Formats: sequence, C-alpha cells, structure tokens
Amino acid sequence: MAILSRISAGAKKVLGIFYPFKFSLPYLKGRYGIVAVVIIAGIVSSVSRLLIPVFIGEAVTKIENLSYSGVLSVGLLIIAASAVTAVFQFIVSYGSLYVSQKFEYNLRNDAFWHLLRKNYSFYEGQTSGDLLSRNTMDVHAVRNFLNNLFSQMLPTIFLIVFALYFLFSINPYFALIFLVAVPLLILTGAIFQKKQRTRWRRIRTYYGLMNERLQENIVGNRVVRGFSAEDLEIQRFSQTTGSYYDEYMEVAKLRGFYNNIMPLIVSAAATGVLIYGGYSDIISSAAVGPLVAAVNIFSLMSSPVSSFGRLIVFSENARAGIERISTLLETSMEEDVDNKNSVNLSGSITIRDVSFHKGGKKILKGINLEIRPGEFTAITGRTGSGKTTLVSMIPRFYDPDEGDILIGTKDVRKIPLAALRRHVSLVPQEINLLSGTIRENISFHREGISLADVRRAARIAEIDDFVMSLPDGYDTQVGERGITLSGGQKQRVALARTIAGLPGVIILDDATSSVDPETELRIFNNIRQEIRSATILLVTHRPSALKYADSVWKLENGEIFPVIDVSVDLQGITDGIRMNFYEVDHGKDI
Amino acid sequence: MARTYEEIEDDLIKTSSGSAPFRRMVREILGMRRDSAILVTTVVVTAIAGTLYPLALGYAVNAILGHNIRLMEYFAGSFFLLYVIQFFSNRVRTIKSTKLAQTEIKSLRDRAFTNLQYVPEDFYSKVKTGYLISRITNDAETLSEFLTFQLPSVISGISTVVVSISIMFYKDFDLTLYALIIIPVLMAFTISIQPRVRDNYLRTRKTIAAITGNLAENIAAIRTIKAFNVEEKVQDKYRGLNQENFTANMRASKLSSSYGAIIRLLEAAGIIIVILAGALQLIHGRTTVGLLVAFIVYVQEFFDPVIQLSQLYNSYQSSLVGIARIYGIIDHPAEENVGDTNEKLVFRDSIEITGLSFSYGQGDALSKIDLKIRKGEKIAIVGHTGAGKTTLSNLLLKFYHPVVGEIRIDGRDLADIPTRSYRKLMTPVLQDPFLFRGTVLENILFVEPSATREQVESLIERFGLSGIFASLPDGVDTNVGEMGRNLSEGQRQAVSILRAFVRDPEILILDEPTSQIDPYSEKLIIEALRNFLREKTLILITHRFSMIVLAEKIVVLQNGNIIEEGTFNELVKKNGVFSGMYRIQYGDT
Ligand SMILES: Nc1ncnc2c1ncn2[C@@H]1O[C@H](COP(=O)(O)OP(=O)(O)OP(=O)(O)O)[C@@H](O)[C@H]1O
Ligand SMILES: Nc1ncnc2c1ncn2[C@@H]1O[C@H](COP(=O)(O)OP(=O)(O)OP(=O)(O)O)[C@@H](O)[C@H]1O
Ligand SMILES: [Mg+2]
Ligand SMILES: [Mg+2]
Repeated sequence: MAILSRISAGAKKVLGIFYPFKFSLPYLKGRYGIVAVVIIAGIVSSVSRLLIPVFIGEAVTKIENLSYSGVLSVGLLIIAASAVTAVFQFIVSYGSLYVSQKFEYNLRNDAFWHLLRKNYSFYEGQTSGDLLSRNTMDVHAVRNFLNNLFSQMLPTIFLIVFALYFLFSINPYFALIFLVAVPLLILTGAIFQKKQRTRWRRIRTYYGLMNERLQENIVGNRVVRGFSAEDLEIQRFSQTTGSYYDEYMEVAKLRGFYNNIMPLIVSAAATGVLIYGGYSDIISSAAVGPLVAAVNIFSLMSSPVSSFGRLIVFSENARAGIERISTLLETSMEEDVDNKNSVNLSGSITIRDVSFHKGGKKILKGINLEIRPGEFTAITGRTGSGKTTLVSMIPRFYDPDEGDILIGTKDVRKIPLAALRRHVSLVPQEINLLSGTIRENISFHREGISLADVRRAARIAEIDDFVMSLPDGYDTQVGERGITLSGGQKQRVALARTIAGLPGVIILDDATSSVDPETELRIFNNIRQEIRSATILLVTHRPSALKYADSVWKLENGEIFPVIDVSVDLQGITDGIRMNFYEVDHGKDI
Repeated sequence: MARTYEEIEDDLIKTSSGSAPFRRMVREILGMRRDSAILVTTVVVTAIAGTLYPLALGYAVNAILGHNIRLMEYFAGSFFLLYVIQFFSNRVRTIKSTKLAQTEIKSLRDRAFTNLQYVPEDFYSKVKTGYLISRITNDAETLSEFLTFQLPSVISGISTVVVSISIMFYKDFDLTLYALIIIPVLMAFTISIQPRVRDNYLRTRKTIAAITGNLAENIAAIRTIKAFNVEEKVQDKYRGLNQENFTANMRASKLSSSYGAIIRLLEAAGIIIVILAGALQLIHGRTTVGLLVAFIVYVQEFFDPVIQLSQLYNSYQSSLVGIARIYGIIDHPAEENVGDTNEKLVFRDSIEITGLSFSYGQGDALSKIDLKIRKGEKIAIVGHTGAGKTTLSNLLLKFYHPVVGEIRIDGRDLADIPTRSYRKLMTPVLQDPFLFRGTVLENILFVEPSATREQVESLIERFGLSGIFASLPDGVDTNVGEMGRNLSEGQRQAVSILRAFVRDPEILILDEPTSQIDPYSEKLIIEALRNFLREKTLILITHRFSMIVLAEKIVVLQNGNIIEEGTFNELVKKNGVFSGMYRIQYGDT
C-alpha cells in the first residue's frame, strides 16, 4: 500500500514535467486551435511514418512474387505515405516552432510590461544584468521546452501508446511485463527530477550572475583599468563561469546515470519478455514470430523513453527559469502609470510631517515645508543628509512612511502618476542619457516637438552653442549613456530635456555639479528669466547658487530648518575653504 | 557615416571563409585529448553495441526454434548485456560530451572577457553593452546544445554511414550505386539553401542581440523612463524589436521545417529507386530475393544517419554565427603593450607633454598642448565645461593615445611603457564615481586587497569622512547596491576618493573629486590632503576653486587649448579667463 502511494506520488511529480506547459497556456490564448492542430498532425505523421515500413514489407512480398506491376503500385503507396508524412511533419515542426516562439514573444512583452511598472524600490534590490538574463535566457528555456514538447514528445507518447496496444494484441502477458516496468520508470523519473531541481535553479542564478559581472565590468571598465584591477576582474568572472560549469557537470552526472538507466529498465523488461516468451514457446512449440515482434517493439521504445528523460531535463530548466521570471510577473511593487487622465495642478507644494526610513535608519523625521507657486526654493545640507530622498518623494519615486505631500491641495498619492510626473520634473544627480541623438534625448518624452522648442530648452540650459558647434548639430549621436559627452555637457542635455517638457515644478538635484560655476550661474539666470511660471526647487551645496533663491532651507539630522543668514546658518555645511591671496601664497610651502 | 561594430561584424561573418571559426573551435575541443578520445570511444562502442543486439536477438530466436533452453538463456543474457554495456558507455558519453562542451564554452567566455579588459577604450563607445553581453552569454549558450548533443551524434552518424555503405558495397556493388544516386541530390539541395539558412540565422541572432541591447539600456535608464513617464513609448519600441525577432525566427523556422519535409521525400525516392532497380535486376536474374530484402533494410538504416547529418548541418550554421561573433571579441585587437612586465616603474623627474593634439573622431578635443609636470608638483587644470579636462586626464591615464605629439615620463614615451606598470604609479578619481556591487569596504579593498579594515577606518577618520558615512545603516559594511545606488551621490564620491587614497600612490589624478560633496566636508578632505600629498604629484581637475589651494600651478583650458598658465596670484591679477571664473565664485564675498 505504502509503495503504491509512493508510486502515485511519484507519478504526480513526474507529471510535473508539464508544469511549464501549464504556465505557458495563458500566453497561448487564441492559439489553442493551432496547438490542437500540431498535436493531431503529430499523431497523423507518426502513424503514416509507421506505414512506410509496412509498405516496404509489402513491396518485398511483391518482389518475391516477381510481380513488377505490384512493386510499382506499392512504390506509389510509399511515395504517397511519405508525402503525407512530409506534409504533416512540416505542420508539426513549423507549428511547434510557431507556438513556442509566439509564447516567447508574448511572455517577453508581458515581462517587459511588468518591468516598466515596477517601482523604484524594486530596482534597488535588483541588478540590471540579472534582470536582463531573466528576460532573455530564462524565457528562452521555457520556449525550448515547449518546442521539444510539441515536436518530439507528444509524437513519442503516441508511439508508446501504439506500441502498448500492439503488445497487448500480441500477448497480454507481454504488456503486463511492460506495465511492471512502468512504476520503476516513474520512480526513476521522479528521483531524477528532484535531484536536478536545485541544480537548475543554481545554473539559472549563476547565469544571471555572469550577466551581472559582465555588465558591471563593461560599465565600470575605466575604474578597472585605472586601478589595474583587470586580473582581479578576470578571476572573479572566471569563478562565476566556473560555478556555472560545475553545476552543469552535476546535471551531466545525473543525466549520465538516470537518463540512461531508464532505457536500461525497458530493455530489462524486453529481456524478461524474451526469456518468458522463450520458455513458453519452447514448451508449447508456438510460432516465434509474435515474440520477435514484441521484443522489437521493446527495443523501439527505449529511445522514446530516454528522450522522456531528456524532456525532464528541459522541463526542470524551464521550471527554474519560470521561477525567476515569476518575480517579474507578479504584480507586487508595481505602480499605476497607465492612468492618463490629465489633472490641473498648481505649482505650490506642501510637505507635511514627512518621515522616511531606509535600511532601518530614519532619514527624515517629520519634515514640514511650504513652497508657493513660481517660487525658487533652495535646499542644502551635508552629504547624505537626505536631500535627494526628500525631493524624490514629490514625483513619488518613493512614498513617505508618514506624513503627506500635496501639490496645490491634492495629495500626490491621489494624482495619476502620469500627470504628476509630467507636472513635476526632477533632474537627478546621476544623469542617464540614452543612445540616440541629442535631439532625441531632449525631446525624449515629447516626441514631435519642433526643433525650435528643443533649441529654446537647450538655450536655457546653456548647451545650444555647444551643440550648434558640432558638425551634426542636434543630430549628433551621444553614444550609450551619453558616453561621448563631457560630464557638464551630459548634465546640461538632461536639464534641457526637463525644460523641454514644460513642467510646472522643476526639481534640480545638484544637477549642475559638473558644470563650471560661470555657466551654472548663467543657467540659473536663464531659468529665472525665461521660466517664470514654474516652481523651482534647487538642491545644492554651492553657496554661490543660493543667491538666486527666494528662500533657503537646510536639512540636518533629518530635520529641516529655514536659513535666514547664509553666512551664519550654514556653518558646517557650505563653509568650505576660504580663498584668499594670503592663503594661496602661504600654501606654497606645504 | 562610420560603420558600426555590428555592421563590420556581419560582413566578416558573411565573407569569412565559412567554417574557419568552427574548425578552430573543433581544434580547441580536440586539444582536450583525453576527454575527446574517451568521448569518441564511447560513441563508437555505443554504435557497435547498437548494431549487435539484433544479432543476439536472432541467435536467441534460433535457440528457441531449436528448443535449446541453455543457448536461449545465454543469448538472451548477451542481449541484456549489450544494453548494460550501452548504459555504461552512454553514461560516460553524456558526462564527457557535457564536459567538453562546457569547458569550451567557459573558455570562450573567459577569453572574451579577458580580451575585453585590454581592448582599446574607444571600443566601448562603439559597441553597446547589451550587444556584448548578448554575444558572451546568449550566443555562447546556444553552442551548448550543439556541442553537447549534436556534435557527438555526428561521430556516431558518420560511423554508422561508413559501416552500412561498406556492407552494402560488399553485398551488391551495382545496387549500392543506385542507392547512392540520391545522395548528390541531397547534398546539392542542402548546399544550395545554405546562403539562405545563414542569412536567416544571422537575422535571428541579430534581432535577439537588438532585444538584449534595448533591454539592457532600458533597464539601466529605468529611472529616467519612469520620471518622464514614457513607459508606453519604450514598450512600443521593445515590442517592435520583439516582433522583428519573432518574424526572423519564423522565417528560419519555415525554411528548416520545409527542409525536413523535403528530406523525407528524398528518402522515399531513394528507397523506391532501390526497390525498382532491385526488382529489374531480379527480373534479369542478376540478384536474389534474399539479397534484395536484406539490402532494403540496409538502405533504410543508412538513410537515418544521413538525414540526421544533413539536419545537423543547419544547426551547425546557426551556431556558426555565434561562434564567429565570440571569436570576433576574442580576436579584437587589444591595446598594444598593456603587459605587466615585472618592471616596477619609478617616477623620478617629470611628465612632459609636448605638442599634443587629440581628437575623438571629428574636431580636436585637445590641440597643441605643452605641459610639464615635475615630480612632487601639484597642478590644477581648470576650464569651462567641455574644455577638454577629462580628455587630458584620459590621455595621462593612457585610456587614449595622442594623435599628434607625445607624453613622456622621465623621458620615456608613454607608448613604450607597459600600460599596467605605468598605471601602477597613479590612481585616479574619475568624474563618474563608478562603484561595484558589494559593501563600501569591499569597494575600497578591491583596488588594494592587502589593506586592512583598520587601515581603511583610520583613513576615513583622517580625511574627515566619518561624518559622511555615519548615516549609513551598517557603516562601511553597508551594501552600496548596483553602481552604488544605495548611497547618496556624495557618499559615492567619498568612496571613490578613499579608493584612490588607500593605494598611497605617487601620482594622483583627480577629476572633479568633490563636486557632490558639501563644502564643509570638502574642507576636511583638503586639510588632510595637504599632509597626504607631501612628496606626491597631484593633477587636479576642478571647477570648484576651493580645491585650488592645493595647487602650485594652474593651467586653464579652453576649447582644447591651454590659454593661461601660472600661479594663482599671477592668474588672478591677469584679468583673463581665470580671474573671471574666480570672481564669479568669490567676487561677491
Ligand atoms: N536606496 C537606498 N537604500 C538604502 N539607503 C539609502 C538609499 N538611498 C539613500 N540611502 C541613504 O539615505 C541617506 C540619505 O541619502 P540621500 O541620497 O537622500 O542624501 P543627499 O542629501 O541627497 O546626499 P548627497 O548630497 O550626497 O546627494 C544616506 O545615508 C544614504 O546612504
Ligand atoms: N568618447 C568621446 N567621443 C567623442 N567625443 C568626446 C568623447 N569624450 C568627450 N568628447 C568631447 O570632447 C570634448 C571635451 O570633453 P571632456 O570630457 O574632456 O570635457 P571636460 O573639460 O572634462 O568637461 P566637463 O567639465 O564638462 O567634464 C567635449 O566636447 C566632448 O563632447
Ligand atoms: Mg543627493
Ligand atoms: Mg570632465
């Protein structure tokens, strides 16, 4: 009894190889008909293929009878059967590729759709290299399984069923011997599956890690080179490919044993049939033909059985892939960016009792701040005091743990994200340009705006002159991450990008740190002159920029304080080295 | 318009003498002598065992017919034994084929990665990160299936074909010739569609690389995408690329599926030719029925591996594209003279830049620069944004090479000095403070593994950075996240500074090291630097004049030219560009 329940549990587990198929069903919606056609074509082609040897046998009989015309007509039959096989085989092969690739296409789009809706916190816990591998190779693993399932497995399953039927018709005892082998096969399959599972998980994880390391190395290549850390990097990468290799070898060892023991079980059964049949034939002097046929059927079956083992491998790989893709597909940590309702928003900002934790530390403790429309407000504070954290909450990159933020009288959480982020535009400290032209970068979010508008924004950001000095002007390619621009140029293009969107609130988070002070002041001047209606929130360390502000605030120990007198209130923040002739002369003898 | 790396690569694949990269890979695999010998042996053993068990079965049947129980048991036993042998040889074969395949793949990946460390810097402004990742991870992965499963079946296929052909010729020469008539047709057909097959695979690999490239870029820019709410536009673009990949895949699928179907027909034609020719010969009394029957069985056996082989040819084409690409990276010309000679370079006297001009392609980023930096000197390079300051430091770091003119250190041309020995003289703080995943401490120790935690902590103390790190949840053990994103921007810069200082280098090249750090912390850093820099050479790029107190000499760059040079006092009095910049920052106070 106990054994029976173990076998049925094993059978259930083995049926788990179809889990990836189950997973894929929603992505094949509307194409179930095609799936059915592929399956039916698989059956037809395996039947018609079985017919060919039968016809050949017939041809041989005709030849034995020296009936030349008979041979000819059988020849025609062979051609016909082959043609039918060819057509159906085409359907099976093309159809299963179609189904699996359609699945891949749909899943990839869907995964990307979710990826675009994940919030900022999600990305803090992920690495781009790993996300990349989830969207490519992990998806691919499932596609491979599907293709194999349709093009090879389903036909072989039918072969097995046919074979069993034949076996039964030859001698029910033979079929019984085979049925004894079945539980053994199931148990082996279940163990095989179980042992592989963690391996494939690791393989997929290491693959992600490999992507991660590679990506990091490419992006950070100047640091690696600058510090002559090439050998270290090579060693680290090689360690990762090494772990990947080791896991693959573990799977190979499992495959070596289990995948080959399965056909061995079948042939043991075949030997059983041979010996049992042999004894009874010798005793009863029956014709030996059916016995030979039965043993042959067994031999035929060992190859489908071993490809079943292979399917288990594909299925486990796919399962590990699905687990990794699923973290993208689940809807947690997503934000609603699709509500495009436009809302009329005012330029005033109210921050009320806002507190925020990160990594167990309280970064902001009950911040209160009021900004009137059209005002130019500056926030300063020491490195790491929480300035970026605070201003990021206005366009809702993060939500406060406590307290509220209002635009006009509306709570930002009640404003559709699309409208909010169109209204509030933040130029971050870390600039990200996309590969493409300068014009594409500036009009990135407002496709179709005229070159004149692009240039107007560029002029305010003090980048127009530079761009016009380039041979290709606004059509100059900037390279990946804007690699062909200098630090200050990148920042100004990013600034122009924000200005071009005509936002009601512009947040400049130290967005001109790489721009020389002269240009920086011109930029602030332009902003004051030309974008009078917008509310400006400036985060800065530079005292020279503060003079443009209507009001200045400082963040300290998670609290915010008004700054009345810049030279007194900002001690310990912006009071840097004093420059004077004396000191520099004096500095000579250091 | 300059051609992109991908275009050049495509041309190379289309024109390269076809199978060269493949042969190279096979040579590398065969270079693993022991394992490949074992693999071949097991494949052959499996094939032989496979041809033997019909024989054992036949003898067993004869024994049954002869009512000989002992013999029947004996042959039934051998029948099973053959399967047991096959089990063992298959087991070894599975393991060895994976081992060979994965070893080769690992080696390809490692070599490609290694070469990436030494390709010229501008390679990275030509090739997208995602494309490179796609080549080294995806493309190499597609090899896995081919090498693990298909290549071994070539060996067994070929051996089966050879065995069956020899037996056929031995049995009936004429009939064998008839049976082989179809082979040239098959070959001609296979070869004739090759250009299309290759185009197809090129297209599929290319479209998948485009997807990977686009994904990589979008994931890197996800914050920008969200900030500007352009998710839909980005999604449409991605869907387009995805659609292209799907279309390319389906085109390849159509061809390979039709190919499979047509091959089936050719097989049937082959069998019919044999049957008809055999029947004719039989009528003319040139052959016997028994012979013909046996022959037909062999023809069938012979066609299976032939078909397998020709199908293999297609998947060979698909992996060829991947192989060619990864070798493309491995073979990409590396920088000359990067090598690590054991020579420990000592900086004795000066770095001298003479008549240096440099261009990234169009227009001079630097022109006619003459500059001498003596050992122990502290010089500041200032200038407006885009003036060429970073470019100059890139040249000093040997990331790029002068187009005209030269840089000499102690009289030796930089080009003649092994890059890595040279770079060990100096440490940079780059304008973009890139951090690796891991903790703050790991990032610092990464460049100086011999340093201890205590050393790092005392360094933090010394440079007054403990305040900056105080707000980190786990101090120096805080995880900085990908690209250091879990730190504030100023904290990132602080780590990048520490990373340079922990090395205690002779020459420091600092590019805007404190642009995101508050002036008060900066002051603490500067004060510590005064001491730290004793005996050291400093090349400082800055917009912020506060750091200039450290410099003895100031060089002002404008549009790639040095326009002013001198001490602070000289330049301020001069009423030129520098004094203008100075007044903007300090004029009011
Ligand atoms: N994603 C994150 N995960 C954990 N901690 C974070 C994260 N982002 C920021 N922090 C921590 O929050 C604190 C405030 O960071 P924030 O970026 O707001 O500082 P900041 O005032 O903008 O500094 P800076 O002037 O250097 O830009 C820092 O101690 C930082 O380490
Ligand atoms: N990889 C590149 N390819 C092409 N052009 C480049 C590349 N890097 C820089 N440039 C160009 O060379 C010029 C000088 O750039 P560089 O980075 O040296 O300026 P910079 O003085 O450091 O400016 P910033 O103060 O803004 O950092 C700029 O016009 C820039 O666009
Ligand atoms: Mg910040
Ligand atoms: Mg620069």
